[in-house]
Amino acid sequence: MSETHEALPEQKPWMTLVQRAGAPVVSVLVAIGIGSVIMWVSGYDAMAAFAALFKGSLGSPKALGDTLLRATPLMFTGLAVAYGFRAGLFNIGAEGQLFMGGLAAAYLGVALAGWPPALALPALLLGAMAAGAAWAFVPALLKARIGAHEVITTMMFTYIAKYIVSWLVVGPLKAPGQIPQTNMIGVSAQLPRIQSLFSDATLEALPFLRLGRGHMGIFVALFFAVAVWLVLKYTTLGYENRAVGYNPWASENAGISVPATIIKSLCISGALAGLAGAVEVMGVHHRIFDQFSSGFGFTGIAVALVAKNHPLGVIPAALLFGAMSAGSGTMQLEADVPQKIVLIIQALVIFLIAAESVVQWFIQKRQKEALARAR
Amino acid sequence: MNTKWSRILAVALALTLLVAFVPGCAKKTTDEGTGGGTEEPKTTVKAAMVTDVGGLGDKSFNDLSYEGLKRAEKELGVEIKVLESKEITDYESNIDQLANAGYSPIFAVGFLMTDTVAKLAPQYPDTQFGGVDEFFDPVPANVVGLTFKEHEGSYLAGVVAGLATKEKALSDKINDANVIGFVGGMDVPLIKKFEAGFIAGAKSVNPDVKVISLYAGNFTDQAKGKELGYSLIEQGADVIYAAAGAVGLGTIEACKEKGALFIGVDADQYLTVPGSGDVMLTSMMKRVDVAVFETIKAAVDGNFPGGTIKEFGLKEGGVDLAPFHDFENKVPQSIKDAVAKARQGIIDGTIQVPDKL
Repeated sequence: MSETHEALPEQKPWMTLVQRAGAPVVSVLVAIGIGSVIMWVSGYDAMAAFAALFKGSLGSPKALGDTLLRATPLMFTGLAVAYGFRAGLFNIGAEGQLFMGGLAAAYLGVALAGWPPALALPALLLGAMAAGAAWAFVPALLKARIGAHEVITTMMFTYIAKYIVSWLVVGPLKAPGQIPQTNMIGVSAQLPRIQSLFSDATLEALPFLRLGRGHMGIFVALFFAVAVWLVLKYTTLGYENRAVGYNPWASENAGISVPATIIKSLCISGALAGLAGAVEVMGVHHRIFDQFSSGFGFTGIAVALVAKNHPLGVIPAALLFGAMSAGSGTMQLEADVPQKIVLIIQALVIFLIAAESVVQWFIQKRQKEALARAR
Repeated sequence: MNTKWSRILAVALALTLLVAFVPGCAKKTTDEGTGGGTEEPKTTVKAAMVTDVGGLGDKSFNDLSYEGLKRAEKELGVEIKVLESKEITDYESNIDQLANAGYSPIFAVGFLMTDTVAKLAPQYPDTQFGGVDEFFDPVPANVVGLTFKEHEGSYLAGVVAGLATKEKALSDKINDANVIGFVGGMDVPLIKKFEAGFIAGAKSVNPDVKVISLYAGNFTDQAKGKELGYSLIEQGADVIYAAAGAVGLGTIEACKEKGALFIGVDADQYLTVPGSGDVMLTSMMKRVDVAVFETIKAAVDGNFPGGTIKEFGLKEGGVDLAPFHDFENKVPQSIKDAVAKARQGIIDGTIQVPDKL
């Protein structure tokens, strides 16, 4: 115990760095380690599996494009959940706001067909943000006015959103044909693939630009990650958001309107989630149908957790989830590892990062004890 | 020291548990995948399938397609591979990877992959694609759409239901009301085929029967299925046919609780839904396995029916009624005769089953 006491002062900055950035990395490595043991015990070649996972997610420009494609919606939902968390709000209904955002984009994309891209793209994105924010507004109002818990209300609104989309794609907005889906959005409203921006000659010279399905939505996502970070760090809006998250009573005393902050926070969260739906519609499917989201709103919670609710942390966290998702096909194909194993490794990462805050709490407790003893 | 050791022990225990748990659920797939003997004449055909997000273990389409693949491995000696999809985004990359790895034919299971197949097929002109439950217009030259005449099988289910609702000796669940029920998944043309066939079959043997149809709006919500089941039973339905995927599992529960007979769909649900025997009258089987196997066989023989939509009906063995199982001795000969007669009529073409309402 005595060495803890001595080492305490100079250990501290190093410790914070490990805790902030290093710990998730360690968690991922430990998860890979445990995943290897699981695969080894189950009779799979762990080396081949991870080689395949790497190949399928980063091994070629096309694979990298697939990782970007899958990371894009997660970046938005991760930001949405993280922004709410910062105000102490658990927006579990990002999925519903995503559906409404996607619906708005799909509708506007058809309605505004023929508009030039410079107008159509922002119009769709703004429309999706408005739809997502509107969908979060009622739960936000209920929370701010009568204290109805947002975990219940946003979740219930998710069901409503999904059923609305489900009804529209079967009924009023259904495109002709056998499949329940809307008409394709106009070409000018689609987010182009990254590789389509370059000429064949450029692609020949710079083959790393052949990013397959990766589309421009990733840049929109990166832009918003930085924007959210700036807002949180440097604006009054962001300051109020954080203050209410730390301590609503103290904030109230300091003159911040807690109800107004709650409404603003959840609506911004909803707008970000709405963008996730928009990029999926504009960049991937070009239309909306019943199951167009594979639970991105819920995966966003895990992304925010791994990122520790830091907007810039959401970028690598979403890329990590995107990479795992992109690599799972190759793992099945080349290493014969069932997709369930990839899911287990994903779950391990989340679990270990969540457990890491327990470890952190434990370390802090020990530090306090050591300090008390030193005095 | 003591606490330190107990901590290490706890971690070790947790790890052991973790490791002990996983193999059970994980190992199975590859054993099945690589297990089958291949002493049969070798062929260079490598067949593969991509599941929809339901994945293997859905006891329905994906599992049935896999059965067809496994049968092809055993009987034709083809190499097989399954890629499971977790997200919609996986459809394209999974099909793409299989095509790149030289698999052909590649089966895409479920109508949600229709667009993806239509988009990728021209990029891989030398690869053959099979779309289970997919309808293409126009059909690319290297694609075959595998569809089913669900209305024909449903007609037989309707014959059974229409007669059973008047057959008090069959079960104490049969009431006096001349009412039967239908539970649909989504209100789409595909499910309308089931409904249309079912109603036509029931009316053919019991013109006064009242058929109540309810739709769940999706294929997954079991609670909704139960609710719809309750509602139908309250309105007097004593035989319920569900063409609604997992929603039907909830309807089975409703039938068990409130007392009604059930007709299953896709697979022989007597076998796939444990404990359903006392309400499961029969099932309308969609033999996806037959369709997949026949398509692989055609590919091996060099006459892959590319560029066409194949319709598998009663005649082709693509749809059929499952055995009555627990009800085998209770179902009167008159019902069995009526089913046999209807089956023959459909196969001869003397009975034309409507495929829409």
